[in-house]
Amino acid sequence: MDFSIDSKFSEKKDCWLITISGEVDIFNSAEMKTKIIELIDEKPLDIRIECKNLAYIDSTGLGAFIAVLKKTKEFEKSIYFQNLKPSLSKLFKITNLDKVFIIEGDSNE
Amino acid sequence: MSNSEQIKLTLPINAAYVSAARLTASSVANRLKFDIEEIEDIKVAVSEACTYIIKKPCFSTKNDFKIEFNLSKDSIKILLSVECDEKVDVDDDEMSMQVIKALMDSSDINYDGGSFNMIIEKKHLKVSFE
Repeated sequence: MDFSIDSKFSEKKDCWLITISGEVDIFNSAEMKTKIIELIDEKPLDIRIECKNLAYIDSTGLGAFIAVLKKTKEFEKSIYFQNLKPSLSKLFKITNLDKVFIIEGDSNE
Repeated sequence: MSNSEQIKLTLPINAAYVSAARLTASSVANRLKFDIEEIEDIKVAVSEACTYIIKKPCFSTKNDFKIEFNLSKDSIKILLSVECDEKVDVDDDEMSMQVIKALMDSSDINYDGGSFNMIIEKKHLKVSFE
């Protein structure tokens, strides 16, 4: 599945809603990071990432989110992941990143 | 059909082809009738092993790396190798290695005759290999 990233400002939740689809790996994780950092530079808000159509993410993608988290923490904001697939929740658990990010609507278990 | 089979792949040291390794890993693991979760583990581990090699600056001057999928009745053993002029520092704390170790039954890195080799294996308890 091709990688795509779309973002919009949610007035209701006062956050950036980001939808990531397809596979995130070493080929496109830097592009993903740049796009999210640009949003924070534009307006520092909480980041909510919709993962319903996210098929795969590798360690470089997770590393990109850690870099984004450092940026959001400068403004005391957080990153939320919603609707992660069980196979991806497993990766967050293995790497202990489930304790670093806020994971919601987890379909696992 | 014999009791073991081998699939060999040579890929450029280029991030664009990691997805090709993932697809092949899924397909090969499926042939051994691993369950969906195990196939996903193998796919993720192979992808991380490729990423590990592509990210190492010392391999950036090399053209390609090889992946061998060795299928047997009770396991899939995957060997990734790349030409290497000198010993490479291996950092087990790196996220790629952390993920590989968590998902596979064994993983090993060695140097043999000018080659950097990573071997990862997943055992299969209920194989039906026709």
